[in-house]
Amino acid sequence: MTREDKKLHDVQSGMEGPRDAGGHPTKDERVVGPILPGAGEVAARPARTLWGDAFTRLRKNKLAIIGLVWVTIVIALALSADLWVPRFFAEPTFTGFGSLEAPSAQHPFGTDRIGRDVFSRVVYGSRPSLSVGVLAVSISLALGLILGALSGYYGGVLDAFIMRTADVFFAFPYMLFTIALLAVLGPGLQNVFIAIGILGWPSIARVFRSSILSVKENEYVDAARAMGASDLRIMFRHIMPNAIAPIIVYGTMSIGGAIITEAALSYLGMGVQAPTPSWGSMLSEAKALMIPAPWLTIWPGFAILTTVLAFVLMGDGMRDALDVKMKD
Amino acid sequence: MFKYVMRRILQMIPVFLGVTLILFVLRIPGLLPGDPIQLIVGEKTLTPALRAQIEEKNHLNEPAYVQYGYYVSNLLQGDLGESYQKSRSVTSILADKFPNTIRLAVAAILVEIVVGLLAGIISAVKQYSFWDVLVTLSTSILVSVPVFWLGMLLQMLFGIKLKQWTGGALFLPITGMGTPPDIAHLILPAVTLASVSTAYVARIMRSQMLEALGQDYIRTAMAKGLTERAVVFKHALKNAMIPVVTFIGIDLGALMGGAILTESVFSWPGVGREIYLAVLQRDWPVVMGGVVIVVLIVMVVNLLVDISYALLDPRIRYGGAAE
Amino acid sequence: MALLEVSDLKTQFTTRDGVVRAVDGVSFALEEGHTLAIVGESGSGKSVTALSIMRLIPDPPGKIAAGKVVLRGESVLDMSDADVRAMRGDRIAMIFQDPMTSLNPVFRVGFQIGEALRIHKGMSRKEADARAVEMLDLVGIPNAPHRAKDYPHQFSGGMRQRAMIAMALACDPDILIADEPTTALDVTIQAQILELMIELQQRKGTAIIMITHDLGVVADMADDVMVMYAGKQVEYGSADAVFYSPQHPYTWGLLDSLPRHDIDEKGTLLPIEGQPPSLIDVPPGCAFHPRCPYAQAVCRETCPELREIEPGHMAACHFAGTDSLVRGRVATAEGEVR
Repeated sequence: MTREDKKLHDVQSGMEGPRDAGGHPTKDERVVGPILPGAGEVAARPARTLWGDAFTRLRKNKLAIIGLVWVTIVIALALSADLWVPRFFAEPTFTGFGSLEAPSAQHPFGTDRIGRDVFSRVVYGSRPSLSVGVLAVSISLALGLILGALSGYYGGVLDAFIMRTADVFFAFPYMLFTIALLAVLGPGLQNVFIAIGILGWPSIARVFRSSILSVKENEYVDAARAMGASDLRIMFRHIMPNAIAPIIVYGTMSIGGAIITEAALSYLGMGVQAPTPSWGSMLSEAKALMIPAPWLTIWPGFAILTTVLAFVLMGDGMRDALDVKMKD
Repeated sequence: MFKYVMRRILQMIPVFLGVTLILFVLRIPGLLPGDPIQLIVGEKTLTPALRAQIEEKNHLNEPAYVQYGYYVSNLLQGDLGESYQKSRSVTSILADKFPNTIRLAVAAILVEIVVGLLAGIISAVKQYSFWDVLVTLSTSILVSVPVFWLGMLLQMLFGIKLKQWTGGALFLPITGMGTPPDIAHLILPAVTLASVSTAYVARIMRSQMLEALGQDYIRTAMAKGLTERAVVFKHALKNAMIPVVTFIGIDLGALMGGAILTESVFSWPGVGREIYLAVLQRDWPVVMGGVVIVVLIVMVVNLLVDISYALLDPRIRYGGAAE
Repeated sequence: MALLEVSDLKTQFTTRDGVVRAVDGVSFALEEGHTLAIVGESGSGKSVTALSIMRLIPDPPGKIAAGKVVLRGESVLDMSDADVRAMRGDRIAMIFQDPMTSLNPVFRVGFQIGEALRIHKGMSRKEADARAVEMLDLVGIPNAPHRAKDYPHQFSGGMRQRAMIAMALACDPDILIADEPTTALDVTIQAQILELMIELQQRKGTAIIMITHDLGVVADMADDVMVMYAGKQVEYGSADAVFYSPQHPYTWGLLDSLPRHDIDEKGTLLPIEGQPPSLIDVPPGCAFHPRCPYAQAVCRETCPELREIEPGHMAACHFAGTDSLVRGRVATAEGEVR
């Protein structure tokens, strides 16, 4: 349902029709029809798949489209950087007072302390951010989906064990645990993947577990089991397709979160190490130069903000399109 | 109610043991960078005799499970070990820093409550209005802002630019915390720390308020002849507040655990910054001890939140079965 | 002058797909102490009629587009917001269909009953509490002083509806609008609630507007009956007239779908076939014609006016009061047509 549909639905169910305590139509609905067009329209609409329907709705969501376009641009810039950035921007000017030059036509974002072009560094800085976003979330997804699936599907002792372990992970304040883990693993981009990846699984596992639990109750799962389908087959054919929507939404939003965490770790000097550019480490260098060179602070942060926002908007759009209920 | 609290406390115990186990595994010698014994003696030369003496004293030559036993039992007695760097007990170092962290956390929570609740309520009551769009948009942006960058921007704006514009007459301090109660030093860190959570509070408040306003009991209250204001602020708000209070409580717990980023940006001498500095100096007892204490505090605050949740919602308070 | 006069009331909702005429020209009058039943399927506009009288239509998307609602000579639709609030709960009170959700879960039952008293009668918290206990006692809640301190979830469904009635009658209103008050309840509880309403009406002289989709519910208590279909009034008259000489095929449908013991043992229940129309896209002519077994060409083209068939008995059917339809009706009863 779109927001408008929902509103209509609320108006409608608020006014007419016998409903039981749970808001479900009671048996008297045999002669009950819609007062407002919301429900009737749904029935009249040609049957489409969940995904087709969701895609149509997603396309109508302007903010989600803006997010998607921005993410695409950032990815394109990151991938193509080697082709064009060095030609135009990358070489340090090193021309005496070339350091800390204010933005100009030649250096659109200015230059840093040792005369490097900030624009080039911001473009290259997208690489660690995007790779952490994708890789760390993939690790979380892999761990979370497997553990969540085991937990939700088999239940019992295994479920209790996995969920209590998740509780233990949740007990740690996130940033603190990441830093403690990185203290053990040592700084560096690879370890950032691992740390963020490992710490992300409990939420994914919880989300997936609960959607599996709700799907598992459906009769078609019982039917498949009665027909002798194997656990794996039931899982992949019957449960996964129906339980995956919240994971897609959650995963998209997690990418934004992972990018922020990477930036924070690099800012604290525990992530990407100099001289490799990353948005977080650039901000760390900018800290002492806030007065003479504010552009050093502004642009990397702006890059983080817009990229994360793009993922959040996409996530919001998918949540609405797939009609996933989350705790906000 | 009593049974509920007892059950929650009993549930906490295995989780806390799990936390100590993870931390214990992390501090096994060899896993952490640097030779712990060398770190303990610092600059002094390490003779085999001294090494043996230190191993003996710290039970490092015992099997792992015995060491874990010592670790937990020391923990229960409030002994978190000695700092490698400062010749003080970890407990006393943390005890110094906690009041500062709590001060910052409470200030941030106040910002969250005032700004977040108001924004959420206005947004819901005037749904689809200019204000609603503004709140929805700015909360989306706020949850995407890296806090440390926001902190830097605020420092630039209110610490540097404002000072330049007003010729040094008006500005906010951007580092340290002054001598309490120094409100001026508190403003920027508190706003920074509160930013993301304020956005969440506004969002949750908005959606809860919208949900409450759509309920049948709102129509009942209207039919009774209540003013719209009474309906919104009494009947809807009391229902909508329950999840919001929970969020704020949990957030308070999280903020109590120290805000590494905000404290670092503003050089605020809190627990988070202390632990971060300890990581940089490889002062493992401070790191691990700090984390354990922080986790414990977060768990206790969350327990209190759960109890207050039960107090707020009569369905749980008198319902018997919780969850 | 009647206590409440409603004439040509039109309430509309603006939606993305067009304007929904939820109530489209409804007129009726309610006398002091009488009971009017408004009957129809869900979506027929009966609840919207009630909410319009209370001026509780959410605006936007809703709007009272035309008509008059006159309470003791005073035009409700022209009242200031403050006057409307003073009227709600004091002169006209309302109870709703789902007692589970109509009470606020976080306030004590007694407090919720006393709330109207404090606004309208200027009672103190203490006086209102005491009166709330009296009211709970009146509606038959045992151990009322104790139960007033309970929260709604501690009440059963029937008790909650009793509490709703106590709340509605606390200020001794002239009119009680009951919107499907028994639909969400068990059958045995339904009868108790109806009995309670009849008893309280006799004691207090409150006029009642009873909204229901079930004619059986109102057979014993209604003085007048108004049948609604697709936002329009299709039949209106005294309960006797509507029950014993129903004129509109839709009313017959409603009567046929009731279990009856007085006609014949074998009488089968006949549900009305088909679905009520979408109110955006109301069929041309008589809105009921697609479901009407007696529909003729004229029904598809011209919308029948509500007209007086016999003194005080109105119906909106081209064939109301004519022999052809009566014969059709007899034929239906004998099972020849369907």
